[in-house]
Amino acid sequence: MNNPCNLKVGIPRAISYYNNYPFYYGFFNHLGIEVILSDKTTTKIINQGAKYVVSDTCLPIKVYVGHIINLLDKECEYIFVPSIQSTGYKINNCSKIRGLPEIVRNVIDRPFTMVEPTLDKTEGIGLFDFCVQTAKFFNIFDKKLIREAMHAGWDVYNNFHSMTNSGVPYSIAIEASTTGKSAGRPVDIVKPLSVAIMGHGYNLFDDRISLNLIKKLEKMDVKVYTSLDVTSAEAISSIENLGEIQYWANELELTGTAAHFLLDKKVDGIIALSAFGCGPDSLMVDEIAYHCKERNMPLIHLTIDEHTGEAGFVTRIEAFVDMLMRKKRAFITKKSDKFISPDDVNVSVPQEIPVGSAK
Amino acid sequence: MNNAERLELNKMENKIPTKERIIAWPRMGRIDIPLKALLVSLGAKVVIPPPNSNEALELGVKNSIEGICLPYKLNLANYIMALEKGANTLMMFQAPGSCRLGNYTKMAQKTLKSMGYEFDMVIFDMYKSKMKQTLQAFWHVTHCINPWRYYKGFSLGFNKFFAIDTAERLLFYTRPRELHKGDAEKCYEKWLKITDETNSVIGAKRLKKQIIKDFKKIPIDKDKKVPIIYLIGEFFVLLDPYTNQNIEKELGEMGVEVQRQIMFGDWLEHVLKPSLFYRKESHRERSVRYASDYMKRAIGGECIETVGDTVYAAKHGVDGVIHISPFSCMPEIVAQNILPKVGRNEDIPIMSLVLDEQTGKAGYITRIEAFVDLVKRKKLKK
Repeated sequence: MNNPCNLKVGIPRAISYYNNYPFYYGFFNHLGIEVILSDKTTTKIINQGAKYVVSDTCLPIKVYVGHIINLLDKECEYIFVPSIQSTGYKINNCSKIRGLPEIVRNVIDRPFTMVEPTLDKTEGIGLFDFCVQTAKFFNIFDKKLIREAMHAGWDVYNNFHSMTNSGVPYSIAIEASTTGKSAGRPVDIVKPLSVAIMGHGYNLFDDRISLNLIKKLEKMDVKVYTSLDVTSAEAISSIENLGEIQYWANELELTGTAAHFLLDKKVDGIIALSAFGCGPDSLMVDEIAYHCKERNMPLIHLTIDEHTGEAGFVTRIEAFVDMLMRKKRAFITKKSDKFISPDDVNVSVPQEIPVGSAK
Repeated sequence: MNNAERLELNKMENKIPTKERIIAWPRMGRIDIPLKALLVSLGAKVVIPPPNSNEALELGVKNSIEGICLPYKLNLANYIMALEKGANTLMMFQAPGSCRLGNYTKMAQKTLKSMGYEFDMVIFDMYKSKMKQTLQAFWHVTHCINPWRYYKGFSLGFNKFFAIDTAERLLFYTRPRELHKGDAEKCYEKWLKITDETNSVIGAKRLKKQIIKDFKKIPIDKDKKVPIIYLIGEFFVLLDPYTNQNIEKELGEMGVEVQRQIMFGDWLEHVLKPSLFYRKESHRERSVRYASDYMKRAIGGECIETVGDTVYAAKHGVDGVIHISPFSCMPEIVAQNILPKVGRNEDIPIMSLVLDEQTGKAGYITRIEAFVDLVKRKKLKK
């Protein structure tokens, strides 16, 4: 394994890692390229990244640059920085994610080879072209091998998603899928409240960026649903049912998830988690807020940046959960009152209906 | 794909009968003069919203969400003001895949409907087959079938665009050199008015030459050494004098010749003309060529133009570059990240200015003054 001739590729633990890492892992492994991951996000990594980019840049990009520095410190020669332009016809990504290689190339002046394939389905550059472009950097031109590697990637990816769809938490599923095992679903404990979180994978599953939001909520006895509990087909159809159009590539994680839980009413509230200054999020959250208002669903919008204090963050979540709890309690007591209240008996007498409703 | 079909579906609403249509569109620079000429010659009634002002901005800010960018807020205000003035058909172009611009119309539609206005939104897409889309949109709002009128309208519109662009370029050149302060400005205003009033194709075609002739009459100091500064950045902010706080005038009065690569007429010609007839290298193609050392792909918005123009400026003896963008504009943030390296490698001073609704004029001017001083000193050293 420690043979220096071995090809190694560094993948930063940020942005598309959280959505596509199982695919990347399967793909590179089949090609015989070892994958090196950067360390988990720490405050040091964020600060390192923030040093390189201008201050207006959003938190996830700062984190991304920090991870690249981390990989360079690990002496990675090849670093995988994909530019995912669009994932469907006229379904584009955020400019900053599209321009990741451009940012990295121009802010970091240390020598390394950047593996920068482009995926742009609007212009007809599909996934296979993406894989061919990637393999080109490692001097692999065998199209058959690349196609096999792509399928190997899909296998790992599908394995990961079948696990998460059955309710396996993110961190366990990603570990199990990359080691080839399959993890069982943890014991389901019935909890009084449940919320859905709409947020990009790179914000939500990064423990440092999201300040452990999922664990914090679970400690408060809240069942948490995320984008992993919704299949992409479900997400697409719920966006349609809500009468919206998918515009952003990441929309399934946000609008799709929120729309799914908004429509089937499985949850008591929705939490929107987004980074400060995020362009697409500002629109998507607004869209969902509009529908939540119509359907009477509580929603809280949490904004994070590198200075977010944990105390204030916790207070906001606690207040939201308390509010949900009170609402649910009121709802249940009202519901049970209905069965025993003597007013209901009088409903059959037509004249008394206005009096009853006036109360 | 289903999603694409739905995208097409929402584009052209058709609730109001053609004869009752009163058309309005958002303001951007002097777009109102040519568009008005085009629509009026197609036989439509138009309403022009009042120019952008603090009042308009306040209206826009009140009715839009916090995180959206500045151009949307002003567009929304334009729509509201136009609807108040009696418009019932709103037109807007969109370009999916650029940035948040592709979402503007969708959001504005929803916001305005929830405010209780009744109107038709007609959107033309600037992705591919633009001329067809544009013609379709104009046919949809006017139902005009007379080809002569289309010819008249488009030729009037285009010629007015070119006339305005020419006047603007000459204004930029003359303002720092003029002997009597204010001459160039007066001449520019006069020609804007004449351009607006011109109603015949021949008259419109003659405009450009007349403007050049008239500007030449202004007495200028030809030997004056004037530093040249490029203005680059986001499209809307560059073209709208309210949003950029009239940066061109401020710079001109400080004795700086401003040059702007993004001109509405050029852009429109490139976008609308079928590629068969468009022989010269467009601004975008040139930008891609010049930016190739720094960027390998376009990422939406005007990012690649910004970077390409900076490199172009450095290679053509321009003394400095001012980059302006609205707050939280995604493509321009990427450009901002790239520009420091361009400035270092190509040895050209660059200043980035981020504008939002709270930008104070005094601080803004101070920064520009400091930058101009720097550029002038650098020029003297040479």
